[in-house]
Amino acid sequence: MRIASNQFHITMSTSLQAATARVEKVLTQMAYGQRVLLPSDDPISSVRLARLDREEAALRQYRDNVGSLMSRQRQSESILDSISNDMLQLQDLLLFAADGSNSSADVNAVSGSLESLRDSVLAFANTRDQEGRYLFSGTASLSPTISFDPAAAPGARYTFTGNTQQQMVVVGEGITQPANTSLDDLAAMLNQLDLTIVDLSAPGVNLSDPGVRGRLVATTDLADATFDRLGERIARLGGQQALLNNLDGAHANISLSNRQAALTLGQLDYGDATVKLQAYNTSLQATQKAYAKITAFSLFDVI
Amino acid sequence: MKIQQIALSGAMAAQAALNTTSHNVANAMTPGFTRQGALFSAVGPTAAGAAGSGNGVRVPSLIRFSDGYKSHQLWSAASELGRHETVQPYLKQIEQVMSGEGSSLNKGLDAFFGALNAASVDPNSAPLRQQIITEAEALAQRFNGLNQVLLNQRLSIGQQRGASVTQINNLAEQIARLNGEITAAESINVNPSGLVDERDLRIDELSQLVGLSVVDQPDGSRSVSLKSGVPLVAGGVAGRMALVNQLDGSQAIEVAFAKESFKVRTEGLAGQLGGLYEFEDGVLMPTVASIASLAEELATRVNGQLAAGFAPDGSPGTDLFVFNGANGLLSVRPGVTGDELAFSSDPLQAGNSDNLLAIIGLQNQSVPIAGLGTVRMGDVYTQLLGGIGIRSQQSQASFDTAKTVRDQAQQSWASTSSVNTDEEAINLVQYQQMYTANMKVIQVAGELFDAVIGSLR
Repeated sequence: MRIASNQFHITMSTSLQAATARVEKVLTQMAYGQRVLLPSDDPISSVRLARLDREEAALRQYRDNVGSLMSRQRQSESILDSISNDMLQLQDLLLFAADGSNSSADVNAVSGSLESLRDSVLAFANTRDQEGRYLFSGTASLSPTISFDPAAAPGARYTFTGNTQQQMVVVGEGITQPANTSLDDLAAMLNQLDLTIVDLSAPGVNLSDPGVRGRLVATTDLADATFDRLGERIARLGGQQALLNNLDGAHANISLSNRQAALTLGQLDYGDATVKLQAYNTSLQATQKAYAKITAFSLFDVI
Repeated sequence: MKIQQIALSGAMAAQAALNTTSHNVANAMTPGFTRQGALFSAVGPTAAGAAGSGNGVRVPSLIRFSDGYKSHQLWSAASELGRHETVQPYLKQIEQVMSGEGSSLNKGLDAFFGALNAASVDPNSAPLRQQIITEAEALAQRFNGLNQVLLNQRLSIGQQRGASVTQINNLAEQIARLNGEITAAESINVNPSGLVDERDLRIDELSQLVGLSVVDQPDGSRSVSLKSGVPLVAGGVAGRMALVNQLDGSQAIEVAFAKESFKVRTEGLAGQLGGLYEFEDGVLMPTVASIASLAEELATRVNGQLAAGFAPDGSPGTDLFVFNGANGLLSVRPGVTGDELAFSSDPLQAGNSDNLLAIIGLQNQSVPIAGLGTVRMGDVYTQLLGGIGIRSQQSQASFDTAKTVRDQAQQSWASTSSVNTDEEAINLVQYQQMYTANMKVIQVAGELFDAVIGSLR
């Protein structure tokens, strides 16, 4: 093929441009450490990367939720623990009061302690979070767990005003866990206790009175049952936390493998890039040298 | 003396050839220059007789080294190149903007649904509810920012198209004028090669802007029309292209030629003009529509789910988003507050989060999206971006191919028509020798004449 003189110059500038573009691309990849700079560099990988990215964002959120849920449950657990301690004392005092050898003055004194324990249990049951919402009212978080009506007759002064609905928290793709515990059975126990306190605080209380004794036995039985149910709740919270821990571990594992996949897909192999850069540079230099040699020859120089 | 006249014709022919060679050397670097060569032809004998050798040499015309087929190839390659080259910056910009951290809708959607997820831990918490509104606003801003970028692209496409049409009209006029000059030059037997080169350069420029079909006429002029057959130049007459703004914001093309007016189909135009239409109709507007449709689905579904629930104070749910169908803009309802968000499914249960869970579930709902079909809401943007990535990759590959084809066409054209200085150097030496030889013949003829005169003395 006949070659025109300016063809050398055109070929040279074309190949220089192509070589520079290649070098520039590798340099940018190296600067960012990324193989895929734009979706068009590798559309399939970039779609996979975007999906991994989104899954990562969701996992991060789930793990955040697991963290907050666990701290909320620990808070509930410690309060339930305090109530359960109060109940333990309550049981002791009730047993003491049931002992027929005590004088009526001793029994009167016990009623004072029972009163303070009753108020303590009420206060714990009505615990509110930092934004003023009741922890143990189920989903009716704006109304107190146990409402106290001082005007009502003893035995009907405490009412459960929450509900037993559960508030579900998202802790994984399609996985929810309850965040709350309802203290729906404390009001009945407090009412029963209230009756006993009235009995025991009466001057010259006669424990042999079948009415007094019957109520005392009923209170003791109910306190025992309530204590047991508190224990169950605490155990359930513990179990839930173990479950959440497991879930968090699973999330962490998926997240780790996602990040590894993202690295494999998106990260630049520096060794490969360096070799490429070297090769491009060499071919660039060779082109330049060849150009210099070829353009140095002209028939006009010798005629 | 015949011998002197013959030698003179040789010397004159050599001079003409030397002129041609020097013209070639002078224009070795002129773009579009077609080299010429002197065509020699022997002049026959005038007198009868077996000994009549002939009357020397003459240069009836110059040869123009050109190949019409190669020129046509050059032009159609230019149209393909223009078509793919012009959309590269637009595609790059869309890709860059859509995959950027700050403008990615995925990040915005993740943050919005993340805020909803976070609120599920404590659905009544005021800061967590406020966070949802903040993220909703940020998401709306991302939608609108992207929308703005895409609309700006449409605007700049419109401007580029306007500039292209102006240039097309200019070039068509120049080609028509040059056609006239070439026909005139040929009729008075003036070498039109320079004019032809100039006209072909203009046709080359024109073919980068829009795909052409060029037909050679017997009078030396070239008729130029669009690929669809709409005439742009016929002889010395040029048509006039104009853009007509349509109601839907697009631009149609019309060509006025003589007293006729032609509507031009925008498909298959090729060249820059065709590339711009392809990008606008094939990538830009579908993307705008998909994004608007995602915004609308998001707004409608989130609002719809909120309407099914109750705020903590028991009042029925109100809208969070406002979608403006006219301009595709998404915004958060002005004045919306955190405690208006209806996360409860029961007006009496402030702490219920059933409706909130339903809103979070929207992310995985499949929604009908313009241009994509039915797609999970959380996956729309990823698919959109992947689609644009593939489009851009294809376009880059087509651009590379078009560039290679054009380079090849240029090489092939240059191989016939461009100057090789070494070749001209050889010509120079040859014609110089030819000139010297003829001069020598004149000298010999003179000596012969002197010898004859001398013998008579």
